[in-house]
Amino acid sequence: MMTSFFAGLLLAYAGMAALCLGMERHFKQVWQHLPSPGQRQALRLAGWALLAGSFAACVLAWGWAMGPVGWLGQVSLGGFLLLMLLPYWPRLAVLLPVFAAPWLGLVGVIQG
Amino acid sequence: MAIIAPAWWPVVCRILAAIVGGYAFTYACTAALARVLPLPAADAVWVASLPAFALYTLAMLWAFAARSLWRAWWGVALALPLGLLGFWPLLMERLA
Amino acid sequence: MKQTLTQSMAWLHTWGGLVFGWLLFAIFLTGTLAVFDKELDLWMRPEVPAQKVEQSQALQRALEYLQAKHPQAERWNISLPSERSPTLGVSAGNQRRGGGELLNPQTGEPLAVRETAGGGFFFRFHFTLNMPRTLGIWLVGLAAMAMLVALVSGIVIHKKIFKEFFTFRPGKGQRSWLDGHNASAVLLLPFHLMITYTGLVIFLLIYMPAAVDALYGDREAFGRALRGAPVEQQAGRGGEQGARHERAERPRAAPAPLAALGPLLAEAEQQMGPLAGLSIDHPGRSDARIEVRPILGNRIELTKGRSMLFDGVNGAVLRAPAESRPSQLTQRVMAGLHFAQFGGYPMRWLYFLCGLVSSAMIASGLVLFCVKRRRKYASEAPAARRVSHLIEALNLAAVAGLSLACIGLLWANRLLPVELAQRAAWEVNAFFAVWLLSLLHALWRPTLRGWGEQLGLSALLCMALPLLSLLTLPEPWAQPLHQALELTSLALGMALAGLAWRVYRRQEAAPPLPRRGAVMQEAL
Repeated sequence: MMTSFFAGLLLAYAGMAALCLGMERHFKQVWQHLPSPGQRQALRLAGWALLAGSFAACVLAWGWAMGPVGWLGQVSLGGFLLLMLLPYWPRLAVLLPVFAAPWLGLVGVIQG
Repeated sequence: MAIIAPAWWPVVCRILAAIVGGYAFTYACTAALARVLPLPAADAVWVASLPAFALYTLAMLWAFAARSLWRAWWGVALALPLGLLGFWPLLMERLA
Repeated sequence: MKQTLTQSMAWLHTWGGLVFGWLLFAIFLTGTLAVFDKELDLWMRPEVPAQKVEQSQALQRALEYLQAKHPQAERWNISLPSERSPTLGVSAGNQRRGGGELLNPQTGEPLAVRETAGGGFFFRFHFTLNMPRTLGIWLVGLAAMAMLVALVSGIVIHKKIFKEFFTFRPGKGQRSWLDGHNASAVLLLPFHLMITYTGLVIFLLIYMPAAVDALYGDREAFGRALRGAPVEQQAGRGGEQGARHERAERPRAAPAPLAALGPLLAEAEQQMGPLAGLSIDHPGRSDARIEVRPILGNRIELTKGRSMLFDGVNGAVLRAPAESRPSQLTQRVMAGLHFAQFGGYPMRWLYFLCGLVSSAMIASGLVLFCVKRRRKYASEAPAARRVSHLIEALNLAAVAGLSLACIGLLWANRLLPVELAQRAAWEVNAFFAVWLLSLLHALWRPTLRGWGEQLGLSALLCMALPLLSLLTLPEPWAQPLHQALELTSLALGMALAGLAWRVYRRQEAAPPLPRRGAVMQEAL
């Protein structure tokens, strides 16, 4: 359960980060140049796909009844954390899921 | 988005229309809904009552959004027919 | 009042938000703390031993104790240790709560536990504001309606919901406060709406009895109808109590040994999930009845009153756990969504964090109100300026002062003498005394200084909580739940310290605001 919980959290955060980067204003804020239309499209698509993955992880963690409740909480909190990090450490904020993924793997291994 | 501070009387009227009038309207609406729903009474109670707070919220917003005070109280006036619809069997009993 | 829709909604949001914001912040913050009410409760009763004991073993100790102390009682109540609370509670007689004793689940000895307001204080304050129950419930209901109105009117006046979804520009004064307020409201909108609406739904038929009045005439009739219909299996409590009453009038039944409880509990657990406790009617007699209750939270539905009834001699199932009919299930699921007893600790943490953000959102709205007005201070008439300063002080006491009072309650729990009479009431008094002092302090100090000092003190008290345990307890960190709570307090304290530090720096940088005393003199 803990593995899917943290996986859901990570995917929710990553999804929100991708959706955020899919917006011109924030892409520019992080990378100092404008995204190409194709990049924006891809980021949005990836964002929704990651959120869908987070939903699946929540259903794995809690089942069909409680999963969606937990998912909404994770997406909201993931977005809020991103909001708080973005103006201070923009690159770290969007790359956080990449750094956090190995730790998640560790949790998965420990939990078996 | 300037904060407009109107004279106090219309404001008090609006607040009353929102809180008291809105509640009266919601109460009557819930009663009427419970009466007309084609469900067993034990189900109708829950189904009619659950949306009450959404209704009350809208009624309160209406009281403040209405262009004139009269229109704000109009909504409240709807409570009377709705209440009658909800309570007519009980009223008949009382009167008989 | 000839205005556009946006203008009237902005007015409503601003003033409604201010008047109810103070109350709402208190309701949201205590509600957030109440997510961990059992954990706080355990922390406030440090005499409870740390070892984990199997439920069956604890049950055996409880039975031995009750057999020895209350062999003639009509009813035994036992609350078993569970994941969240390792306490074993017993009581004899008809009341389920109160008047009971806590036992050491290993030895069965009664525990000398300090009297405390406990985590239940936050829970009760959350929905009654520590007022007489009916008054408190209606006031909290009104505040919750104001929250709904504020949320919807806030959506109407927020023109760039999607464009500014992730927008937060710190260090820009009013702009930053507005960004933070908007983004935290929008990002957590599902939570805000859900928690407010489901909170109202808990007392649905108290707040909105229209349907009951219309269809049943009076509220008792509805209660009878709910209990009476056999299909609904609502018989649960009411029916049982009636039956118990009849039995009590009959002559005492012959003595008979109690059924073995192990298999009974196993069956109940299989049907209902982890168990919270049980009560035994007429123990040691042939008409004994055993009622077993699950912990809340094996499902989303709020299952208060759900139980299984067994024959106390041959162990036969007399009543299976009731299932709600779909219409009522909807209400109970919504109530359950509010109570957040389901989904284990991960879900509890999500609720806790969401609640913190909600509280912060409300607080940021309150601050925003003042930040907007501050720019106009100089040009305001003295009377209006006095009102502004009163609002500033109330803001400070409502937000930072309440935080201080909450952590103050925990300090009072450790610092008040253990043998003090009416100790629980004194803890509550300490809570309100700290809150009142914070208001006086807020009225006396210049605004930013007041914020810095109250936030700083709250931070200090939060961060020093583990130290307090070290100084006042013989075995400070034996209980893993204590460690978790104190670490959380440490983290919250660090966040508060960060806030206090920012306020302090802001105060150094900003031109001094007019001092309250100076303003008062001008006013006179």
